[in-house]
Amino acid sequence: MKAVWKFKSLYIMMLPIMAYFLIFSYYPLVRGFMISFQEFRLIGNRPFVGFDNYLAVLRDSSFWDTLQNTLIIGGGTLVVGFVMPIVLALSLNEVFSTWFKKVTQMIVYLPHLFSWVVVGGMWILMLSPDTGIVNQILKLAGAAKPIGFMSSSDYIRWVMVLTAVWKEMGFTCILYLAAIVSINPSLYEAARIDGANRWQQVKYVTLPSLVSTMKVVIMLNVLSILRMFDQIFVMRNGAVANKVDVIMMYTYQKGILEFKIGTATAAGFLVIFATLIITFVTRAIIRYDEG
Amino acid sequence: MLDKYPHSGWASRLFDTINTVFLLLLIATMIVPFLNTFALAFSTNFASMQPGIVLWPKEFSVEGFSTVWNRMQLYMPFTNNVIVTLVGTAGHLILCAMAGYVLVQQGLPGKKLMVSLIMLTMMVPGEAIMIPLYIVNKELGLLNTLTALIISGLVSGFSILLMRNFFLTVPSEMNESARIDGAGDFRIFVTMYLPLAKAGLATVALFEFVSRWNQFTPALLYINNHAKYTLQIALKSLIIDTDATSSNFIITTNVRMAGIVIALLPLVIIYPYVQKYFVKGIMVGANKE
Repeated sequence: MKAVWKFKSLYIMMLPIMAYFLIFSYYPLVRGFMISFQEFRLIGNRPFVGFDNYLAVLRDSSFWDTLQNTLIIGGGTLVVGFVMPIVLALSLNEVFSTWFKKVTQMIVYLPHLFSWVVVGGMWILMLSPDTGIVNQILKLAGAAKPIGFMSSSDYIRWVMVLTAVWKEMGFTCILYLAAIVSINPSLYEAARIDGANRWQQVKYVTLPSLVSTMKVVIMLNVLSILRMFDQIFVMRNGAVANKVDVIMMYTYQKGILEFKIGTATAAGFLVIFATLIITFVTRAIIRYDEG
Repeated sequence: MLDKYPHSGWASRLFDTINTVFLLLLIATMIVPFLNTFALAFSTNFASMQPGIVLWPKEFSVEGFSTVWNRMQLYMPFTNNVIVTLVGTAGHLILCAMAGYVLVQQGLPGKKLMVSLIMLTMMVPGEAIMIPLYIVNKELGLLNTLTALIISGLVSGFSILLMRNFFLTVPSEMNESARIDGAGDFRIFVTMYLPLAKAGLATVALFEFVSRWNQFTPALLYINNHAKYTLQIALKSLIIDTDATSSNFIITTNVRMAGIVIALLPLVIIYPYVQKYFVKGIMVGANKE
């Protein structure tokens, strides 16, 4: 007890932080958990209804549609977004001119700085069929008629995947570049003495050295799949809603627009449970804790 | 950079050429959208509506900016955004640094518990408790206030751990000797630890500044009142709510693009100066611990 007293000023310093987490992290979590088992009414008591809210979500076909969209768009983003930064980092690593390398790094990182409203807005305007620059370029290349990328259900998912990769590619690339810089040069020398050409050096030295960074990136990206919201909210439109609305969009619509608080909260908690399960499964699959 | 062996052989040279072309194409996909956006923003209303590959303003004008700033009153959300960003970043910095300082103290009872509590908050995706958070803010009477936006994300586990990692580099003997001289914790924190962790503070401040400037979801949830709109929300309705006619005039492309330019300009201006901190922050953050 005496020890605790000795440290009292430290506890006082920690107090606002802990208070913040209690009110804005733990309380909403507990409160939400309770609400997900209640029939939510604005006034009066809120009777417990067991798993009714969860069943309502699971019986709702639009929930399954949004889950499917989440997996398709998220999965696509995960795969393309995993490959591209590695390709970019490896090809930057082969560049000899320092300034070209620096400038490229600086430029590819740029889109990460901006919000989805800015990035989504830019792409919506650029992809527009009548005046957008993309269709103008396609026309120059000999395309017969303009494509309405944002309103076509064939293209829209690809638009989502590619814009997401476009935005985050440079950010992820920095992680790989930092890992490449820290590779021991004597490994390359040894490889060269053994007669390895450039490609073999990449294959036997660079790539194996990036495995642990790859694991971190996979972990981060898997967790972000279920959280997709801003991008979809900004770039969706009525014509393609059934192709792109993701789980968080479902929660938002149910809770904020339709005010079905119980259902929306239950959907949110399904996402939390799923996140925990996916975290453990992914960790096990990629052997995250080994190296 | 280590020197790979000299460029002998045509295969090697061919690869270098292809590689450079690939990178140039990639840079083009990054630069062209921004050039296009800036060029259209600085075009006249009429010119901005013409089809064409525009990378430079055809007829230079700031019509779009004056329309969006004055007529559509973007200065209001812009001001709100500045307030929320500055106050929020300052508060975030002070609180997270303080927590980071506490967590490097040796022999503090309950430190493990505190760390676990903080780590746990990082496990829960914030979007998933969107609705309960909305209810909590409602009950606290924070809906439609800038306070709600400042509080949102005021403390984050990520920043605390980042600060803690920076403070770990401060030798603990300094702390002890200051204590013997009779300095209190708060004083040691302010006069010794903060100045020694300038790079850490800059990194956290920077990340927070960018994410606050771009803050979207909280504003979408908590703000309905036009006077309290922040920049991203105002932009969303300007760019995306597609009915291009407001009450009495047509919103031309240059007006929308001018809105985008206003939103990204502060970030573009600071970016070259702060790039090194970004890289540093990403590195510290990606440490597997």
